[in-house]
Amino acid sequence: MKPLTILIGALGGDGGGVLCDWIVAAAQSQGLGVQATQIPGVAQRTGATTYYLEVMPAGARISATSVLALNPAMGEVDVALATELLEAGRMIFNGFVTPDRTTLIASTHRVLAIGERMAMGDGSFDVGRLLRAVKERSRAQILFDMDQAAEESGGVINAVLLGALAGSGKLPIPDGAFEAAIRHSGKSIDTNLAAFAFGRGHARGELEQAVREHRKRQTAVQGAEDLIERARRTLPVASLDIVEEGIRRLTSYQDRRYATLYLDRLDTIHALGSGELLREVARHLAVRMSFEDVIRVAQAKTSAERMMRVRAEVRAKDHEPLAITEHFKPGIEEIAAVLPPSIAKRLLGWGERTGRLGKTYFSMQVRTTTILGFARLRLVAGLRWWRPRTSRYVAEQTEIERWLGQIRAASPLGIDLAREIAESARLIKGYGDTHKRGLGNYRRIADEVIAPALAGRLTPRAAADAVANARVAALADPEGESLSRTLTAIAGATSPLKQAAE
Amino acid sequence: MLDQPAAQIPVSQRTNPERSFTEEVRALRLGEGELFRGEGILAVTKAILQSGVAYVGGYQGAPVSHLVDVLVESQDLLDELGVHLETCTNESSAAALLGASINYPMRGCVTWKSIVGTNVAADALSNLASPGVIGGALIVVGEDYGEGASVIQERTQAYALKSSLWLMDPRPSLPTIVRCTEKAFELSEATNTPVMMELRIRACHVTGEFVAKDNVPPAISRNHRLAEPAAHNYDRISHPPSTYAHEKIKVEVRQPAAERFIVENGLNEFLAGERSDLGIIVQGGITNVLVRGLDRLDVEGKIPTLVLNVTHPLAPDQIADFCKGKRAVLVVEEGAPDYIEQAIHVLLRKRDIDTKIYGKDVLPMAGEYTAEVMTEGLLKFFAQSANDIDLSRPRERFEAVRAGRAEAQRLLGGPLPLRPPGFCVGCPERPVFSAIKLLEREVGKVHISSDIGCHSFATLAPFNLGNSILGFGMSLAAAGAVAPVMQKRTISVMGDGGFWHNGLLSGVASSMFNRGDRVLVIMQNGYTSATGAQFIPNTSGNRRDGETTSDIAATLKAMGVGWLRTIRTYNVGTMLKTLREAMSTDDKGLKVIVADGECQLARQRRIRPQIAAQLKRGERVVRTRYGVDDEVCTGDHSCIRLSGCPSLVVKPSPDPLRTDPVASVNNGCVGCGLCGEVADAAVLCPSFYKAEIVQNATWWDRLKWRIRSKMIGAMAL
Repeated sequence: MKPLTILIGALGGDGGGVLCDWIVAAAQSQGLGVQATQIPGVAQRTGATTYYLEVMPAGARISATSVLALNPAMGEVDVALATELLEAGRMIFNGFVTPDRTTLIASTHRVLAIGERMAMGDGSFDVGRLLRAVKERSRAQILFDMDQAAEESGGVINAVLLGALAGSGKLPIPDGAFEAAIRHSGKSIDTNLAAFAFGRGHARGELEQAVREHRKRQTAVQGAEDLIERARRTLPVASLDIVEEGIRRLTSYQDRRYATLYLDRLDTIHALGSGELLREVARHLAVRMSFEDVIRVAQAKTSAERMMRVRAEVRAKDHEPLAITEHFKPGIEEIAAVLPPSIAKRLLGWGERTGRLGKTYFSMQVRTTTILGFARLRLVAGLRWWRPRTSRYVAEQTEIERWLGQIRAASPLGIDLAREIAESARLIKGYGDTHKRGLGNYRRIADEVIAPALAGRLTPRAAADAVANARVAALADPEGESLSRTLTAIAGATSPLKQAAE
Repeated sequence: MLDQPAAQIPVSQRTNPERSFTEEVRALRLGEGELFRGEGILAVTKAILQSGVAYVGGYQGAPVSHLVDVLVESQDLLDELGVHLETCTNESSAAALLGASINYPMRGCVTWKSIVGTNVAADALSNLASPGVIGGALIVVGEDYGEGASVIQERTQAYALKSSLWLMDPRPSLPTIVRCTEKAFELSEATNTPVMMELRIRACHVTGEFVAKDNVPPAISRNHRLAEPAAHNYDRISHPPSTYAHEKIKVEVRQPAAERFIVENGLNEFLAGERSDLGIIVQGGITNVLVRGLDRLDVEGKIPTLVLNVTHPLAPDQIADFCKGKRAVLVVEEGAPDYIEQAIHVLLRKRDIDTKIYGKDVLPMAGEYTAEVMTEGLLKFFAQSANDIDLSRPRERFEAVRAGRAEAQRLLGGPLPLRPPGFCVGCPERPVFSAIKLLEREVGKVHISSDIGCHSFATLAPFNLGNSILGFGMSLAAAGAVAPVMQKRTISVMGDGGFWHNGLLSGVASSMFNRGDRVLVIMQNGYTSATGAQFIPNTSGNRRDGETTSDIAATLKAMGVGWLRTIRTYNVGTMLKTLREAMSTDDKGLKVIVADGECQLARQRRIRPQIAAQLKRGERVVRTRYGVDDEVCTGDHSCIRLSGCPSLVVKPSPDPLRTDPVASVNNGCVGCGLCGEVADAAVLCPSFYKAEIVQNATWWDRLKWRIRSKMIGAMAL
């Protein structure tokens, strides 16, 4: 008689060891021969841990010669359990999950690995690929968001997983034995039993899980209805969700006039005739026009909904008082940004001469839950009327016009190139050093790739690829090494300007 | 609030924060005929008590830490039996503990992680093995090899061979492990030789059961003390000319006695099989992988197999008898070099036995013998040695699963993101590396000499800081010849565990003595955290009372260190300033920064129940955590690259106009404040906020809150 084999993949802190103990205790209570072992990894939260169990079928004893294995083998795993989707993928990747044999019981939620989190944009592994592998490379699947189930039941994910295992009916162990194991371990019995019942219900299809959707938040603003009406009249339907949000965003950020400028600018892009290009530009243009200055940060931090959002996020109960402390650290540049161009120039010049630029900062901790603290930020937010006079505003508008000009110039050469130029605006984001780095990267690409392309020194197709490559390279590492390499390679492929014959 | 100095922890609240061992402690008390259930390493612990040990010691390290950890929690039982427990400061000290068995008929057991720990213990081991013992001496080593191993892949076998220590490698089944443990003491006494027993990580954690016996109180013990020391006997001293005699005795008396004992007591196991022309000799510890491999090839139970529960010495007659008359024998021996295979070759050649020996020609020289590796090796062995066995179906199955894996990898499209271990949420060590990263922005790259411990995770993403790791407590010594050739000073990082283990002498004393111009950062978190938060000399409390035994800063001062700063780690700005000063000061001597902050894992385990109790009593408790304003965050993730806190995650942007995911603090946050500190020190962005939630608020809290909420609500946009 061959044992049933179970492989568990978990993350440190998921309680994989306890899960293992529960299964062993439940099997023992049924008189089944069982053996478990583990590679616990390090105690820390981020490492992956694995557990392996073998359970003899009912009626079989472990004899001296029937040796249970300590290592999982490819193609010989009956049940694979994973507390997280990438870990399920890892068991598939290593060949332990096979379509002829393995029932895969896994949570569909993702806990991103450090490499995925530290990317400068979106570095997460393609979930579609994971799900496809899960479906194609296992015999049967029990999949649901166990993190959500754990949260809803008030228990821990390992108990949900145990419930799903019980619900799968793959082991010759009745539910009561698993529940007894939970009771016997003596910790958080009620919540663990609740989580177990949740998991079992999901596995048996008795519970439906509402997909935890991610809501996009629209800006709430009044007085822009006629602008939205204008957009609806003049622009294609496919771009309207973006454009309308852009109008609301810029009205709230600045005023109606500014939102009108946005629409005027979009009209010139709409005239180019590509709906897709319009949609992309509408998105980036709204983000670029609502650039991050101290006024905007103050606006965000003093908005009416913010306090509710924070309360929900930190899970403060209704009656619990809350204190919020904000971390600010403006420097000379941030101050210059809100001054008129001529004064800003002098201030920056002074900062440069004295070596204070990029060195002198004013570290501030503001309590936005005190009346005075909130009032200080509210005062800054109220400077919105002053914004069009600031040096940052003037500089941003120049940059935006240059970018729009390039898109318009590129459009007749190739719509792909125009779209890539639009998309490269994505590099400009953040504050302080991050913003400086992103803007620097963008300018390098504008000077070294876009300008030559518009001058006809690259074919439009090659130019579109070059801009895309440079953008990806700029997001590859914060030191800019990858971008430098890519730009050098592109320069090598660019035909030199014809020299004058004389 | 966070860097509450370790010294303030009341003694009554100290626990071993890694785990509570109530169940395990109960298992150690089982008596004759009762059924023991548990993990392999706990079975060993029970077996040594059943063997009547008088003393136990060890130094923590995976996977054998539990042996000492459980005994630390079993002080009552040890007191009853009279067993002395020594939690040693390094493996060298643990090995020297066995010196008690040189002169006195006392059984003793020590434990550590091999190969690193055995290296540290080597000096004492040699000088223990030379005179030998009269009381049984057992060394349980965690053979940290293969998947999940955290150290260099070398074999303990080498030490057994060079020092003439006997090495057991029991088949990973609890009854076998227990029998080997008990027999190890007898073997040790019968041959006057210390015995080592190696357990791989899966064997330490394997579950199982065995029938227990009563614990045996030792005849000589803390409870039954000797009136007089042993008479002076120069033969018992590891010093010439005694050592000349010891060497002869080792090979002429002790080894033959061991070979006899192994055979007479049936320590090695023989698994019968019908194929008299074939055979397999396997290290006990990997028997299960072999047996399952044979099963996969449909030949399980057919091939005679000799299971070596003792891998040194081999019993020559037993090996010769096993091989005689066989066409081919496979030696299954994990790791390099192939000591056993070579010894068997020599042994057979000398006896003119012409059995063909297979081994590292069909199995790989290096790496763990996993199920896949074993299957491939067995397929090769049978293909070359027995073409009458039909392997076509198993081979087809094996090729099919490999093809299936290739298909799975194609579907997934390339390697999956790795999940390297990293610093815990709220770890006090992470801010130091954030500060070093910021320092490097100012001064450029610095040579960083890393060490063993949690802080070695800084060599991984997102920090990627560190140029070398030479051993536990070795980082300062490892910079000895680098510092003099660098224009910038070097930074050595060391944990407090490493400091007491080795760093104080081989690092600090040597650097002082040589007038080294180096920077040393000592992570003072109060425990050896990576191995399960065991106590060390600067912990507030030790195993016996609540006193802190030794203070690092005081020790350094006494050593003559002039430039010494103790800094609360969470303050990144101050840490950066201090590092900058250390790198640029005119002081030419050793510069030490004691980076102080209690291990957060230990701290959380201690304070969570306290806070729960406070809440239950209705007391006012302020819960602190951090958050990110998702409207302000732009999705660059600099904060993650500079801190890497596991509770600092990313989520889809709530902004309909942005696609890059934004940073978010999840509910694992313990409120250490590093993300805010880093955002401040690196001038990142204003999205971070600190939230303090008042639980069980007083009327005054609530009144203030109501007034403020009203006023703020009226002002809000």
